[in-house]
Amino acid sequence: MRPSRPISAKSCIHRRDFLASGAALALVTSGHRSNAQSSKTGTVRVWGEPGPYGGVAVAAMNEWAQKNAPGLKFEIETIPWDGVYVKLMTDLAARRPPGLISVESPIAMQLMAEGLLEPLDDVSQTVGRDRLADKLKWEYFGAWTSKQYIMPAHHQPHLLLVRTDISKELGLSDPDGWSWNDLANAARTITQKKPEMAGICMALGRNLCTDYHFAALLHQAGGKMFDQRNKFEVAFDSPETAEALEFVRELQQFMPKGAVEYSFLQVVDAHVTGKTAMSFYWGRTLGRAAEEAKPIFEATEAFNHARNPRTTRRSNWNDFQGWCIPARNNPFVEEAKQALTYYLKSTPWLVKYCHSLMPNVAPVFKDQAESAELRNHPFYQSKARTVDTYFNTSLEHASSTANELLQGVNPFAGIVHGRSILAQTVQKVMIDKMSPRDAAKWGARELDSVRKENIQLVN
Amino acid sequence: MLIDTGAGRGSPTPLPASRSSARRWFPELSDNTVGLLFIAPFIVTGLFFMVYPVIEAVRMAFFSYNPLRPEVTRYVGLANFQFILSDPLFWDAFLQGTVWTLLSILFQTLLGVSIALLLNRTLPGIAVFRGLLLFPYIVPTVVIALIWRWIFNPEIGVVNYALIATRLVDTPIYWLSTPDMAMASTILLNVWKYTPFVVICVLARLQSVPQELYDAARVDGAGAFRRFLDVTLPQLREVLIVVVVFRTIWTFNKFEEIYLLTKGGPGTSTFNLAVYSFEQSIASLKLGVGAATGVVMMVMLLIGSIVYLRVSGFGREEAGA
Amino acid sequence: MNPDRAHRMLGLAATYLVLLATTFLVCFPLIWALSTSLKGKAEIFATPPTLIPHEPTIDNYKALITGRPQYFQSGSERVATGSAPAEFFGRWFLNSIIVTVGSTLISIAVSTLAAYSITRFRYFGRRIVPYLSILGYMVPSIIFVFPLFLVMVRLELTDNLLSLILGYVSLTLPFCMWLMWAFMRSIPIEIEEAALIDGATRLQVFRDVVIPTALPGIIAAAIFSIIVSWNDYLFGRVFLNSLDNLTLTVGVMLFFEGTHVDWGLLMAACVLMTVPMAVLFMALQRHLVTGFGAGAVKG
Repeated sequence: MRPSRPISAKSCIHRRDFLASGAALALVTSGHRSNAQSSKTGTVRVWGEPGPYGGVAVAAMNEWAQKNAPGLKFEIETIPWDGVYVKLMTDLAARRPPGLISVESPIAMQLMAEGLLEPLDDVSQTVGRDRLADKLKWEYFGAWTSKQYIMPAHHQPHLLLVRTDISKELGLSDPDGWSWNDLANAARTITQKKPEMAGICMALGRNLCTDYHFAALLHQAGGKMFDQRNKFEVAFDSPETAEALEFVRELQQFMPKGAVEYSFLQVVDAHVTGKTAMSFYWGRTLGRAAEEAKPIFEATEAFNHARNPRTTRRSNWNDFQGWCIPARNNPFVEEAKQALTYYLKSTPWLVKYCHSLMPNVAPVFKDQAESAELRNHPFYQSKARTVDTYFNTSLEHASSTANELLQGVNPFAGIVHGRSILAQTVQKVMIDKMSPRDAAKWGARELDSVRKENIQLVN
Repeated sequence: MLIDTGAGRGSPTPLPASRSSARRWFPELSDNTVGLLFIAPFIVTGLFFMVYPVIEAVRMAFFSYNPLRPEVTRYVGLANFQFILSDPLFWDAFLQGTVWTLLSILFQTLLGVSIALLLNRTLPGIAVFRGLLLFPYIVPTVVIALIWRWIFNPEIGVVNYALIATRLVDTPIYWLSTPDMAMASTILLNVWKYTPFVVICVLARLQSVPQELYDAARVDGAGAFRRFLDVTLPQLREVLIVVVVFRTIWTFNKFEEIYLLTKGGPGTSTFNLAVYSFEQSIASLKLGVGAATGVVMMVMLLIGSIVYLRVSGFGREEAGA
Repeated sequence: MNPDRAHRMLGLAATYLVLLATTFLVCFPLIWALSTSLKGKAEIFATPPTLIPHEPTIDNYKALITGRPQYFQSGSERVATGSAPAEFFGRWFLNSIIVTVGSTLISIAVSTLAAYSITRFRYFGRRIVPYLSILGYMVPSIIFVFPLFLVMVRLELTDNLLSLILGYVSLTLPFCMWLMWAFMRSIPIEIEEAALIDGATRLQVFRDVVIPTALPGIIAAAIFSIIVSWNDYLFGRVFLNSLDNLTLTVGVMLFFEGTHVDWGLLMAACVLMTVPMAVLFMALQRHLVTGFGAGAVKG
């Protein structure tokens, strides 16, 4: 993605004159010129998760760079999900942060609370404070001490994926109406009637995926890690946690045998290769199925999670992914801001972003969500309902470990995930055969040590 | 300065000072200078890249150091050591690491000696076999870990396919999903990779065993097995001790062979001390604790190396000079 | 055929059989990797799995060597993701070569000079140097890596191949020192004495007499250093950041950490990564055996 030759000197001068005369009034806060030429050279590294969408955003930014910073090249740097913490240490601690980061909210919130990020209020003003799609709030993505540090990139819930061909064949009821018991019974039926298939699949390995999958169940049960309203005291040692763990234990018998070491990759594999009839996952599974296993793609639909019988919650874990800019040791703060603004204001690029992996990354801006071009994608014909579930109705039930039950941001989630505390709690029950109550106590102790060691983040 | 090769060949002879000669490419330097000049790069490199990191690691063990917040580094005395010594995971890692090491060494030694015996012949084509059997040693750990994941993949791997097709098992074996299987898999990988090292060392020794000893034993009516016990084994004794001690020390501290295959899982069942140290430093961002674990590992190492030096004859060798 | 001869032939056949079986088992992982890398996507998952591909293809190798990007469909456009590991493979290969050659040259130069010094001259402390070296060799890399990382941070060398070159020197120097010392000790002094008497300077003797004689040891040390540097993962993971600067070991692990593993491509990458080591090894394995024999076992 080499930037092309810079625009001729004549038009450059023209633009500069124009800016100098009047347009400065239209600009906000930090006093930089939004379209000023930058003479810096180098590569602006952009962190992103595995997937094509980061590349789309970077392509948009390179378009900006061609016109405004011809010496710069934006380059996507894929971070494996379980590798984020290594990267945090090796890059940030090495004082070689990337120029721009696209990351899910637990880590973004941690970076934000640690004071490592540049405030982006000017960017959010330029992009449009009232542009957010329905049911989304700026705080979900990252506001701290009344400053906005993180710009929305996309939202991404994980839902219940069901092979409707199997469920219909076995006469199961509509998954949309299921409770936890219905889900367990369905899994049991499938496992019994279809011996080569597992009933359900989720991640149970010591990794981030398990953390997320379990967090959703925890929130469905009404449980939490930290109590935002009570100084973030640990609230994990609770009957709700035990209930969620018990449910996982019940479901485990219907899962593929290798599930105790599953992470993101293996759960997708299991569904796409037909080893499981149901799974918990984000939209990526459908994308891959569309490429590799058309019959499975056609048969799979996504539903909001089964409701917890006691609380009636159907919480999912939504990543509320955002863009943020490291503040320290970052030579490209201004350029990253401008490139980001350029990209976020361009509806065509935002639509391309969503299209690059349907229906994994959901639109966050009104114009993006309502655009006709967005609907110009085959999935809107074949999977309209599933797409709508991912993009829209999931938001009613959205939750996150960084913002539990959307009752307030906590900055500890990133650290919790770094140590895979939730996954380890799950594994204590699944592998070490601890009782759910004891495992909850163990987890609570670990969470408490996280809170104690990082208490300065909330003071 | 006197020249002393230490090869024990009698008293060193004093030499006349070097004379200038017609063709001189380098400036004439006295022996003193040359000697010190030659050792200088080693001293410098050694100090910076061997001595300094170790000292720094020991120093870090007494500090609380979060690499993301270097400004709050503070001295904590023995707190890091207290932390790890009271952490059940540390002891689990220690135990697991020990089991892993001992079993790996056992199999490496048994297999290594067997293969070396096999290779210690002058059959046509033996050189080819020698090359191929020593091959695993040079394969990058990343490569073998990834290939392992592929061939031992429970659903699509060829090993399970072969086992099921030949009716040795009925259901797929989950090589990495239970603590015991994961431990077995990592041991298997370790044995595969490092047995060649044992083979090389044993073979080198075997090839210097004089044939007459075997002939004499054969004349005495000893069968192949007896010959092995009475002639080969005693000759191998010294090299085996050295190899076993060496390999034990190295295996105990191995990081990649476990981490790249299982990341220490499932759960924490394949953790060893090196993985524990890594996780404390990176995942928990506690470089001080990681360093303290390293110090503990080094102490164990020191004990092991003293054993090695004693056993390999440090004192004995110098007496002969 | 007399019974003795038959007995011997049987024994011979049995020996070859055992050798073949053992060699096949030992080399199987790489054989299977090669086989997988030459298969198309369909055949990789076919049952029963085939050892020799029915429809071999070098597509995976082409992708790696030409740096083929991954594309996705966006509306009517085909956009490159810009982060396909295959795109960077060639770059990573080059980086591994640079780092390996750099650290090997430094290690063998330093250790040869130092070994000559401590075996030919007498001064305080020279006797313990080799033993301190071997002690250093036994310090596990996990202890070195974070302090060295902090050093590199202070020197602002992270994400720079030079940091790896220096880091690998710390891993390889101790054993190279030990090896060269063992070799230097066994070189008879007469050759040098003769040359010195003829009027050569110490340095000339070193260059013209000692180095050629010590060449087997130098080669063994070089092989060892090359293997350690090429194969390392831990240092590369911690010291390097951007995609452009990764070495092969760190980069190839990225093939595996997404949501979709292209096994054929991954196996091809594994094969290509191992080939240089295999070639080196096959050509020079005799030296490796000699080196280890001399270094690990005394006398």
